[in-house]
Amino acid sequence: MGQVVDVTSTPWIDSGDAPPLALDRDKRDIISQGIADPLVDYDIVPLTYTNSRWSAFFYRAAEKDLKHILPKCLDLEDDIIEFWYVDHLHTGLGPYGEFGVTVSASHKDGAGKTFKAGYYPYMYLTQDAAVFAGREPFGFPKKIAYIVTLEHGGKDDDGYGGFGNDYFNFTMERRGYLLHTATGRYDDAELPAKPAFYGDPDYGRMNLRLITDPSLKTTKWDLTYLDSKVTAGTAVAMGRPETEGQHRFQLKPESIRTASAGAIRSWALQATPFDNMGAMLPVKELLGLMSFNFDLIIPGADTIWTQTIERTDEDIGDLLFATPYQYTMRQRFPKPPGV
Amino acid sequence: MAEQFAVTYIPGFETGEIPPSPVDRDEKTAFIYSLVDPVWDIDVLPLTYTNSRWSAFFYRADEKRLRRVLPDCLDLEDDIVEHWYVDHRNTMLGPYGEWGLTVAASCKAGDGKTYYGGYYPYMYLTQDSAVDAGRVLGFPKKMAFIRTLEHGGSPDDGYGVYDGKDWKFNHFSFLMIRNGYVIHSAIGKYDDAELSAKPAFYGNTDYGRMNMKVVTAPDLSKSEWALIYLESLVSKDLAGFMGRPDTEGTHRFQVKPESIRTASPENIEWFQQATPFDNLGAEMPVAEMIGLMTFSFDLIIPAGQTLWTETYTRDATWAGAAKPYRYGMRHRFPKPIGLGA
Repeated sequence: MGQVVDVTSTPWIDSGDAPPLALDRDKRDIISQGIADPLVDYDIVPLTYTNSRWSAFFYRAAEKDLKHILPKCLDLEDDIIEFWYVDHLHTGLGPYGEFGVTVSASHKDGAGKTFKAGYYPYMYLTQDAAVFAGREPFGFPKKIAYIVTLEHGGKDDDGYGGFGNDYFNFTMERRGYLLHTATGRYDDAELPAKPAFYGDPDYGRMNLRLITDPSLKTTKWDLTYLDSKVTAGTAVAMGRPETEGQHRFQLKPESIRTASAGAIRSWALQATPFDNMGAMLPVKELLGLMSFNFDLIIPGADTIWTQTIERTDEDIGDLLFATPYQYTMRQRFPKPPGV
Repeated sequence: MAEQFAVTYIPGFETGEIPPSPVDRDEKTAFIYSLVDPVWDIDVLPLTYTNSRWSAFFYRADEKRLRRVLPDCLDLEDDIVEHWYVDHRNTMLGPYGEWGLTVAASCKAGDGKTYYGGYYPYMYLTQDSAVDAGRVLGFPKKMAFIRTLEHGGSPDDGYGVYDGKDWKFNHFSFLMIRNGYVIHSAIGKYDDAELSAKPAFYGNTDYGRMNMKVVTAPDLSKSEWALIYLESLVSKDLAGFMGRPDTEGTHRFQVKPESIRTASPENIEWFQQATPFDNLGAEMPVAEMIGLMTFSFDLIIPAGQTLWTETYTRDATWAGAAKPYRYGMRHRFPKPIGLGA
């Protein structure tokens, strides 16, 4: 009775498999809270991904819907959006599932330079470190959801590779509501159109980061920009100078599979009380699905536009939408046991 | 052609319980991203909790270990830590499980005033919105699989088992796992003994709560550390904002005395370990177990005040610690499928 067992050893630090404890290091090497045990530590930098599997539905959306979801600092460039799932197997953040929507947009800065990029209005992942490594420094708008990505069928296998992967199933759920599901079979058809940023290195990636002061008196908006190519600084920091100028996203052409709109057997997309994507971005014309493997590096981001919102006491009062100690349908959902 | 199904209205929007998207509101009310669909929104504020269940293990830890997990701007005030689980059922952020470690500390601020607070070096939760909302205030939250269980010793009739009637269950089990590794487990039986000691902040309204927030620039060129302080009492402003002026000066954390249960050390079986992903077990072993106190409570969390800041800058030679496109044991763990389903 009353046993206390504490296993305090950390052999992985002695062997070099894990970095020293954060508080034993130079404070510059702490990039995330808590400082005693960061959620995201410096052993994710540089942040690379190997052999992830991307599955992107392309569809046209109504231009007014697309303009509606863009922040005021962005202009719409294309009505075809990328609605994608990723199965990440080998990354600096560990394995995880991911979903996102990418919209072609541009920003004209004060000096007259135009930045083009895929902008992310919605993202969902299955894992905390990946969510906050994306959110906190860069502004990726990540939430956590239940995500399944599945390719199977069409050929028997013996358990050692050579799997049949002709059929696909993608499902995403959050707080007890289905957000999206799609099933079908690849037919390797030529798709009639792709988003403007496909294969165009002029398009980087953009996020809008909102940093609110703990007092709620200010919120700083930062439009962050990731160049599509490996910069000289990133190439040197990686110890791979030969990668300068290459695309950060290295697609493996031999891994591409496609499904025409007719081969996508079922598609369900719905808004929920917690997530409005189904209401904001319904399909106008489904174009197809493209799946492929890729490697990726995500570097530090530039801030190309910023504004700071200041709030008076009255403005802070306007933030208080809820009634204290009274709970509504937005506060009622199945309790998650965690990831 | 695909069979398409699209629900383009927001279920329940007509109830008035769901705020419009920030893209359809005054931009002063947008404070969390994404702009079109934030991970939490204005319907979380004011952030209240009703009838949550707190289970706090008290133990003495080695003072040098405690000083180690404190930032330079804090002084240690007590060697008894609170190692707690919470089962949150009714909150503005929805239901979730939570775990944290609270250390009694103080900060001498620039104005010469000494602020006392329970400082959180470690926290884990089961839900994304609650993690993000906390991190804005500097709470060092990660996500984990958490179980809190009280049962046995008092058969129930199936009504109000966990949320209404007080069934006085006698046995408990607490468990926390992350990335496949057990971080902590404790099981045992309440004996309602008087505990020999409590942390310094228990029942002391001089103690608020403190967090160290870290905000890193998008280009990673700098990180700003900010010590955030939350007062223990409801301020006049907060009471006014809530429309409950009568609450001014009351404690933000309202314990329900009739709900208290305790367990002495001989009735607690305790296992805690460090993992490749989480160092709690290495840094905070038990020097002397004091016991467990469980109780129900209501809470409000206000905006925070910044007591201290420091900025650390990085030049272009700073390159992190990873090898590009090479993955070690810190990158190998069971792939989570997320929350829910």
